[in-house]
Amino acid sequence: MNPTDLNYQIIDHTADLGIVVKGVDVKDVFIRAAQAMTDIMVKADINEKGAKRKVLVEGEDFPDLMVRWLSEILYLFDGEHILVSAIEISSISPIRLQATLTVLPLKRGHHEILREIKAVTYHQISVQRVHDGWEARIIFDI
Amino acid sequence: MDFKVKKIDEWRYLIPKKGAMRVPGLVFSSSELMANIEDDQSLLQVVNVATLPGIVKHSLAMPDIHWGYGFPIGGVAAFRMEDGIVSPGGVGYDINCGVRLITTALVASEVRPRIKELVLALFKNIPAGVGSRGRIRLSTKEQRNVAAEGASWAVKKGMGTEEDLERTEDQGVIREADPGAVSERAYKRGHDELGTLGSGNHFLEIQTVDEIYDQDRARAFNLFEGQLTVLIHTGSRGFGHQICDDFLKEMGTKVKEAGFDLPDRQLACAYVTSDTGKRYLSAMACAANYAWANRQIIMHWTRDTFEKILAMGPNELKMELLYDVCHNIAKLEQHVVDKKKVTLCVHRKGATRSLPPGHPDVPMVYRKAGQPVLIPGDMGTYSFVLAGSQQAMKETFGSTCHGAGRMLSRKQAIKTAKGRAIHRELEDKGIYVQSRGRTTLKEEMPEAYKDISLVVEAVHMAGLAKKVARLRPLGVIKG
Repeated sequence: MNPTDLNYQIIDHTADLGIVVKGVDVKDVFIRAAQAMTDIMVKADINEKGAKRKVLVEGEDFPDLMVRWLSEILYLFDGEHILVSAIEISSISPIRLQATLTVLPLKRGHHEILREIKAVTYHQISVQRVHDGWEARIIFDI
Repeated sequence: MDFKVKKIDEWRYLIPKKGAMRVPGLVFSSSELMANIEDDQSLLQVVNVATLPGIVKHSLAMPDIHWGYGFPIGGVAAFRMEDGIVSPGGVGYDINCGVRLITTALVASEVRPRIKELVLALFKNIPAGVGSRGRIRLSTKEQRNVAAEGASWAVKKGMGTEEDLERTEDQGVIREADPGAVSERAYKRGHDELGTLGSGNHFLEIQTVDEIYDQDRARAFNLFEGQLTVLIHTGSRGFGHQICDDFLKEMGTKVKEAGFDLPDRQLACAYVTSDTGKRYLSAMACAANYAWANRQIIMHWTRDTFEKILAMGPNELKMELLYDVCHNIAKLEQHVVDKKKVTLCVHRKGATRSLPPGHPDVPMVYRKAGQPVLIPGDMGTYSFVLAGSQQAMKETFGSTCHGAGRMLSRKQAIKTAKGRAIHRELEDKGIYVQSRGRTTLKEEMPEAYKDISLVVEAVHMAGLAKKVARLRPLGVIKG
């Protein structure tokens, strides 16, 4: 997959790695941020079929919710060796996100792991409305 | 926030107290190194740390300071017990990331023709790279034992000796660890990563002692010119990352209740003596112990590999642990402030402990020389052995630098390396490298880091540690 399809840009940070993601609305920016993070970690076909898994994430505001949402996906990847291939957000507010994920087991050989992300940081986190939609800025510790 | 930087002498720069700062900032550096950080935001991070409750004396930065998240990397800050804080961001995600150095009875020039073979065998025996899974699978019960016992867990399993423990910072265990303070998620992330190097700047390196600066201390540390040594640089893996993450989130929610006004969310913290603060320190200790067990296990497999490849016994090889230091940690330590002995919560995020000769926490065998301080270079450049000093106790709560510090972002590094075969360039310099990741070598190439000689010179001249020896790489395994 080409990063431009995912609509994210890598931003330069001396010690770490960051992304700027754009979306048409707030749901879209949350989905695209998760897809961008997955794209950084692993080379996979996002159209692969898998099982459904529901997740609920709660936070204090959109930036906090974004960190917790991406941390959830990262935990599935690193802790349970599960890859998220598709995301459907059924509801979102600044303090709550409900989604149904399509997940599949991470298989060595089949999925090429590109990079280890240690964590999603709060450093300079922003999720905001911009003139043509929504934009998020996230820095990962790698 | 606007702030000024005032040069005090050739190796010290002061950021005078201003606005919300509770103490001034003090940066150990040189004019050459200062020029590198003017463009990033690491000095602002020194200022931000100075605003945190209960900070003592100075918000400190070592010469390898670079822009981190929240706290700068290369930052040191000590907080009072009664009104001070502890911050997971002041330790970092890779809790007890650290270094251990193994000395041998081997002369590097004699082993040189076998380096490639050794590197390949080490690469096979020690899992490295992104998402590497270990050769050890732990049940949650066994993982709790690792979290409580640290390096001694590995020694009990036959992976090392009692002597190894004596030569590890804190004997490879923080006894206040409470496995009950660690989340299920952290156990899940850590269950198959014990005995793995990981990726990024972590590595295992075969080296030779290239130059000795202090003969007496080198003898005390059992180092001689031309000797073959092995350096291991890794930490607590996903187990530590998750613990940091869990507490950052918990504290982030609670800081508002506590009434802190933080300049950066990543600075989330809790009072040291609060329930959350205490639980963080107990969980952090578990990750620190996991990391010590990790380095102990990797050392055991390194010894094993050398014995098999070189067909030599342990008595011939004499692969002894020189020392093991951690450089991402928060500890409750005794220090003298205003002529009074007090307990402080000292955060070292990308900084190494540097205890002087005679200090009771220095192993007996090094008590006269001072604590060995191990400073890993980046792949392809020198690493250094130094000795702790009294000056560090006076000025930096017994701390010094931890490494070279990045100068180029990973993106810039990849751009700089475009069209170049980094492994070949290194081989031309006599360094054989094996790495797992596709872009690791480019991202981690020597130009991406500050010149470590300048960093070490700055701490040596400022008196925060004394140079003992320089180590040159011969073979590297990277994630």
